[in-house]
Amino acid sequence: MIDRTNDHLDDRVKARILWSLTEGYRLTFAIAIGSMAIGYVFMFAVPLVARFSIDAILTPEAIPAPAWLRQLALWLAPGDSPDMLVYLVLAAIATVALTAITGVFVYIRGRCAALASEGIIRRLRDRVFDHLEHLPSHYHDRADTGDLVQRCTSDMETLRVFLSGQIIEISRAFLMLVVVTPILFSLDVAMAWLSLAILPFLFTAAYFFFQRVKTLFTLVDESEAELTTVLQENLTGIRVVRAFARQAFEIDKFAEKNAVFRDHNKKLMALLGMYYSFSDIICLGQIGLLLLVGATWVIDGSLSIGTLFAFLTYEGMIIWPIRHMGRVLTDSGKAIVSIGRLSEVLSEPIESQNEHDPRSRLAGGVRFDKVTFGYDATNTVLDGVSFSIEPGQTLALLGPPGCGKSTITQLLLRLYDYDYGRIFLDGWELSALNRKYVRAQISIVLQEPFLYSASIETNLRVGRRDASLDDIKEAATDACIHESIEGFPRGYDSMVGERGVTLSGGQRQRLALARALLKNPPILILDDSLSAVDTDTESQILAALKERRQQTTIIVAHRLSSVMHADKILMLNQGRIVQQGTHESLRTEPGIYRQLCEIQGAIQHQIERDVFEQVDES
Amino acid sequence: MSDTYFDDENYNDGFSEDSFQEGIKLVLWKRLFGYALRYRLDVGLLMICALAVATAEVAFPLITRSVIDAVGSEGAGIDLGFYAALYFGFCLLLGVAVGGFFWFGGKLRNHVSHDIRRDGFENLQNLSFSYFDFRPVGWLMARMTSDCERLSNILAWGILDLVWSITMMLGIAGAMLYMDVKLALVVLSVIPVLVWMSLVFQKRILGSAREVRKTNSRITGSYNESIMGVQTSKAFVKEAENLNDFGGLTDKMYGASFMNALQAALYLPLVLILGSLASGLALVFGGLEVVWGAITAGTLIAFLTYARHFFDPIEELAHWFAELQMAQASAERIMSLVMAESAIQDSQAVRQRMAVTYRPGLAIDGYDNAINTIEFRDVSFAYDVGGRILNNINLSIHQGENIAIVGSTGGGKSSLVSLLCRFYEPSAGRILIDGIDYRERSLHWLQSNLGIVLQSSHIFGGSVAENIRYGDLSASMAQIEEAANRAGASEFIESMEHGYLTHVGEGGSSLSAGQKQLISFARAILADPKILVMDEATSSVDTVTEQYIQQGMAELLKNRISVVIAHRLSTIRNADRILVIEKGEIIESGNHAELMRAEGRYYKLYTQQSLAEFAQQSELWQQHTE
Repeated sequence: MIDRTNDHLDDRVKARILWSLTEGYRLTFAIAIGSMAIGYVFMFAVPLVARFSIDAILTPEAIPAPAWLRQLALWLAPGDSPDMLVYLVLAAIATVALTAITGVFVYIRGRCAALASEGIIRRLRDRVFDHLEHLPSHYHDRADTGDLVQRCTSDMETLRVFLSGQIIEISRAFLMLVVVTPILFSLDVAMAWLSLAILPFLFTAAYFFFQRVKTLFTLVDESEAELTTVLQENLTGIRVVRAFARQAFEIDKFAEKNAVFRDHNKKLMALLGMYYSFSDIICLGQIGLLLLVGATWVIDGSLSIGTLFAFLTYEGMIIWPIRHMGRVLTDSGKAIVSIGRLSEVLSEPIESQNEHDPRSRLAGGVRFDKVTFGYDATNTVLDGVSFSIEPGQTLALLGPPGCGKSTITQLLLRLYDYDYGRIFLDGWELSALNRKYVRAQISIVLQEPFLYSASIETNLRVGRRDASLDDIKEAATDACIHESIEGFPRGYDSMVGERGVTLSGGQRQRLALARALLKNPPILILDDSLSAVDTDTESQILAALKERRQQTTIIVAHRLSSVMHADKILMLNQGRIVQQGTHESLRTEPGIYRQLCEIQGAIQHQIERDVFEQVDES
Repeated sequence: MSDTYFDDENYNDGFSEDSFQEGIKLVLWKRLFGYALRYRLDVGLLMICALAVATAEVAFPLITRSVIDAVGSEGAGIDLGFYAALYFGFCLLLGVAVGGFFWFGGKLRNHVSHDIRRDGFENLQNLSFSYFDFRPVGWLMARMTSDCERLSNILAWGILDLVWSITMMLGIAGAMLYMDVKLALVVLSVIPVLVWMSLVFQKRILGSAREVRKTNSRITGSYNESIMGVQTSKAFVKEAENLNDFGGLTDKMYGASFMNALQAALYLPLVLILGSLASGLALVFGGLEVVWGAITAGTLIAFLTYARHFFDPIEELAHWFAELQMAQASAERIMSLVMAESAIQDSQAVRQRMAVTYRPGLAIDGYDNAINTIEFRDVSFAYDVGGRILNNINLSIHQGENIAIVGSTGGGKSSLVSLLCRFYEPSAGRILIDGIDYRERSLHWLQSNLGIVLQSSHIFGGSVAENIRYGDLSASMAQIEEAANRAGASEFIESMEHGYLTHVGEGGSSLSAGQKQLISFARAILADPKILVMDEATSSVDTVTEQYIQQGMAELLKNRISVVIAHRLSTIRNADRILVIEKGEIIESGNHAELMRAEGRYYKLYTQQSLAEFAQQSELWQQHTE
């Protein structure tokens, strides 16, 4: 499902980004890799102990023991020559001790790798989250939520696996080689060459194989995405499917994608099988070669059996990680893509943050002075709009869809920055004020409000986290939602969303209003936010709002009943103010508002006629 | 694809993982092995491959032993060629077996997951809507995708690893016992400790892994919510608080992941040390036996090699045993979907009647094909959860009648329509089609006579033509164009770049709300249903589209029973009968004029509605544009 094509950064940039991500954890990584290297030194000593023991057993008359070991053995078991048992017990103890030391380093490696990778990822998760919340609305308008979430989760996970596993895995293979090569050459030069000869070929073969398989991986991914799409379309459209009784058709459609996915997967498995089969033969063949050539050298006396055993053991230790390197490198390739996708998000510029913050509560005066704005360069949504309202007043905005009503409210919140003209809040120029300050002074209720999938109380507390339960209930009462909430089985604890109560459009709007009232800001904006509330409830709410009277109110609406009590009414059309005044002044002035009022009369008339006709008929 | 990242842990519907902790559920596993057993031959061959791999791996140290002993005893006289042949012979066997391993394992794994998915999908197509009410799409998707994959992985690779591990360990133990019973027993004495330790650790590791997954799905949910609600966060200046809350989650994630990694980091060295203990024992006792001449050097070397390799399968085995519980959880989740029974399906009697040979002129269930009256008789309805939605509804609808339903949200309008479509069945009372209870008729027959147009018109990805053809799969291009024309959709379709072949994007993303609606009209017109059910959309569209919608509506409602949850004044006014539904009851019924005269609830709704509609009318505003 991940679109792997929109990857604009080149690999060098991504490597730099990766490097910068590891900041603060580089030492930890270094310790992980360092302890891995030390661990290998001890681990590779174990076969040497076995080699020594085997040779000692086979030729007891000439035990190749260094002087200190002989001393130690003599001290443990006094006598002319130390007993073989003593040597063997010492060897066994050495084996366990060396492994235990290795174990300690393996543990340190694991711990440090986890510390570093989990730490980096935690920091990155927080950073991306914070960044997303501060990206401008322009960005979110364009962005696809599903894709963004994919980046934050799947790509993050790919990166995590890379940091905690693959980096270590890659260094493991190289460290092993670095540690084992001197040991092998010190044991026997000819055998050492023989053991290492095949590794470059194996490595190259593995690398190229997995590069080729990559395309098949992509095919599998794509067919999975197609399968998921069919499934999702079916499930979201299940009512349409039933409505036309198209179950059989859907089953066929799904069966086709299902089969393609299966077959691609099978092909992938078959190819992997071929590779592992082939490389197993090569690897084991290499060990066999070592065994047989080594045997001839043992026969002619140039090699001891113990040394042969050590070589066989070493070969077994290093050959398998190298065989896996192709796979590891391919997976790392995926991590590189993920880094690119994450840094694309992080490199988007965020909203400006550092303007002035007056820290005092606004009175609530708003003035627009010839404001012109468009969401993109080609379309002007607001065209030289000027108006003002005094603190505590109510302003109503009326106009057809797309006339710029909502844009005015969004500019006020500094969700977008205006292009020309000026906006003042209490005499402060809006663009010179800190965004967070501005937003803290304004509450907005949208037509389709966003509610969190949490309890009703938690949703209301979004308005003010430390509000008392009484405050919450008061706000809910003013928004005419208290009774409905009390009617839910779990009252204020009821969950909102898929797992909880299903709220009607009107209930959602009133809940959002209560939330906004709880914030108790100097400026309240209702952006068509009572559209799903019936007129009786609406007038009740408007009356309650009037009673509060603490705030400047801006109402965007379609109904005359919502706006007629406003202190000022603006009629907007195509980004311009075509009329402004009060209900009383506009009702008498020739223009659109009067016509609206006349239509109301006309409807009354029509209704009377309907009733009249009926009377006529009967 | 905003739904795919939902994880099951987000939805606690009584199927949460915790409820699977205890006990092995035999019925479930029996059913699952049924899937694998369809591929008996492959399972058999897979076992043989696993056996061959294990045999070869056990054989190599034995060959090495023979070579070393031969070198020791015969010196230059030994026949290296023989050993070379033996060794490379086993090499080839192993290579081929590994290939087969992947081939058959891959086949089994992919076929089983394919089959489970297929059965799950087919069952989903037949489940009643009550099943979907409380199960979000994301929840279902997670079952059909990740659970299914996890399960089939475990079925195929788990079985395979199990067979391989067990044969390998038995093989090694057997080889050691064959070489030297006493020494073998000494070396093997480490095993019980190792097994015990592995189980303990794997259980812990799994526990923390589960914690990681749970937290992860919460993080996903948080990201999703923060992106969806970014405007709200900004408007309420919640950025810092949100980050703080989120930080709590990532801290938890850090803790859980770190714990998980630490457990693994601790387990690995312990296995290594126990393994070295086995090697040490082999060295001491084996060494002495060599000195005493009881065994050869080759045997000692073979013992040392076996002691090293004996521990490879243990890790795998412990892992799978621990994983088994998780597998069971996955299995239960996906199987609950495969085995779920539809609450609404044809009764035994209906199925028997449908099995009788088809008689021309009649419906598939043997009754008359025509629909003249639909009657609701004392119908009440409640969803599984929650109170009564409909109360004692009595209503009859006749051939050709257009019914408009109005009333406030939550009053029961949609439920009434869902009952009519038999998406749900009445909790009490009966719904009769020409005098016969519709539960005695075929579900498929009823639903294939229905046409449904929903408020949010669902458009499939694909071309415009494909979307319209959904109404009648056998329709020709000419019929599609005619339907589009009648729906008033042909003009905008033909103006698109590829006309009817234009691709509309996933979910019809390249179309406007009005265009989607027109296409869904065309689809319904093409289907030409006996009963049309419609939830009229409220979305504001431009004047031209509005005109087309009116025209399409009129065309759609012509000559059939139609029930419309109406919002547009024109639809309401033109209806033969208007039902006002409030709080689960029909409070008013009659035509527009009758209800206006009554000056009741309808009168009030209508006056409000007309005001709002007029205030939004675009022509009005256009007149005033200079």
